[in-house]
Amino acid sequence: MHSQTNTEQQLLAALAAGGRAATEQIYQQHFHIINSWLVKNGGSSADAADIFQEAMVVLFGKAQDEDFRLTCSVGTYLFAISKHLWYKKLQQQYKSPVFLQDNTVEEENDRGIAYEDDINVHNEREAHYEQLNNALDQIGEPCRSLLKAYYHHDKNMQEIAADFGYTNPENAKNQKYKCLTRLRKLFYGVQAK
Amino acid sequence: MSINNNTWELAEAYIAGSLTQEEVNKLNTRLAGDVEFANEFNEATNLVSAMAGSGKQKRFRSMLHDIHEKRSSATHPAKTKRIALPAHFWRTATVAASVAILTSTITMWSINYSLKKNESKYNTISREVGAIKKVQAQQQAQQNKLIEIINTKNKPAVPTSDVKYTGTGFALTNDGYFVTAYHVISDGDSVYIQNHDGDYYKAFLVNFDADADVAILKVEKKNFHFGKGEVPYTFAGNKAPLGAGIFTLGYPKDEVVYSEGYISAKNGYQGNQLQYTLELPAGHGQSGSPVIDSKGNILGLLTAVGSQNEANTYAVSAKALLELLHTIPNANSFHLPRANRLTGMNRQQQIEKMEAYTFSVKVYKK
Repeated sequence: MHSQTNTEQQLLAALAAGGRAATEQIYQQHFHIINSWLVKNGGSSADAADIFQEAMVVLFGKAQDEDFRLTCSVGTYLFAISKHLWYKKLQQQYKSPVFLQDNTVEEENDRGIAYEDDINVHNEREAHYEQLNNALDQIGEPCRSLLKAYYHHDKNMQEIAADFGYTNPENAKNQKYKCLTRLRKLFYGVQAK
Repeated sequence: MSINNNTWELAEAYIAGSLTQEEVNKLNTRLAGDVEFANEFNEATNLVSAMAGSGKQKRFRSMLHDIHEKRSSATHPAKTKRIALPAHFWRTATVAASVAILTSTITMWSINYSLKKNESKYNTISREVGAIKKVQAQQQAQQNKLIEIINTKNKPAVPTSDVKYTGTGFALTNDGYFVTAYHVISDGDSVYIQNHDGDYYKAFLVNFDADADVAILKVEKKNFHFGKGEVPYTFAGNKAPLGAGIFTLGYPKDEVVYSEGYISAKNGYQGNQLQYTLELPAGHGQSGSPVIDSKGNILGLLTAVGSQNEANTYAVSAKALLELLHTIPNANSFHLPRANRLTGMNRQQQIEKMEAYTFSVKVYKK
């Protein structure tokens, strides 16, 4: 069974599909490394969870592209992205001077550049999704729940028809299209501003 | 302009890749010919794929969250709770433990002894007493030895836990009062100084001013002295002029490091009047280092460096330090050095003189 996820490429494909086993495997293998690094660099375990999960989402986003190939191992990639995210977070936090205590060894200077693009793409996508969710919040019921059920909770039209009291899936589908039409107006209306 | 259902359906099929080649061709022709439709179709596909993408990502995020939760709930209860003993209790605990072991051994021994010898009770009792006395004497000797060992070991009574923070401190009075930056010690639970001979001494906090970032501490040991004579420098009550040359001694690593510079602005970070801005290279571990002018007056202590883009170093002025001194409980019995023995010396001599009064501050935390 596990031979499916033997190579990292297969692992990534499974991750991209949202496979739990693959995600868990990556989590188990790499989280503790990032956790201990982060704790040594002024973060808490809670920060480590946040940062690592964000890095996983970046990887997940990258892996959606079928042509995507990592030029390094998954572990290296996650570590580089995590570091990067953490330094960014620190930069935002510390506008004030940095205290002189602490004898932690200065990090090698690989902070910038590497994977900067990946993170920028990720941030843009996050912003895009956020706008979309804002529009979704303004759309009103039952559209909001219906679209959420379909897109966020991955329910099929049959289930939705039953949950929302439509006589058949076809009716539910038509309702979904109406809702999408409203969402489009809200979303592109907002964007045009 | 509303998109009709067919367009949505077409957009969904297009994204899913379920259109036949013929349908794709037809679509492309229509897109090329009908600008309004092309625009609609574009927006529809964008919206649908963004909705699908954001939904998928949401599910992925909640799965990550779930994995993390399960993970931490699986690992945490498995660990048995261990309460670490603060370093300064170890001595007491060791003595207590050794007494306990010896006492129980004696009890065991004497019970065994009396069981064996119970045919001649009369004798046994006295012998028992004698034996116990003898053992007690032994125990006493052993205990004394133990305490002695502990005491000699205690001089570098460094907790085995790792050093959490290091900084630099310098003496206020020769009998053990010293000063460092508050942020160096604020997060720890025990503070030691390590002097230039490498010896450790435990210290306790006397008073601090978190805003000014100054802390006054004292070495615990009785009859402690930093150096042979009084502290050789004096403290400047007034602010030094712009451009005044300064130097500092600090412990960014295990050995003392000298650096020099000048006062580049009269006030510190964001115009903080309790501070100076310095042009002086400083690194981690140098917080709390004395800032001294050429005549041997302490002008302040290092507190921070500017973040990345600005290369400034900031120092708390001696004035803030002196103000804090007035607030400590026994301020009257506190005699700051009056005579400056550094004036007129060359720099090497000044540094040599300073070394005994400048040391590394090590902060430990469980």
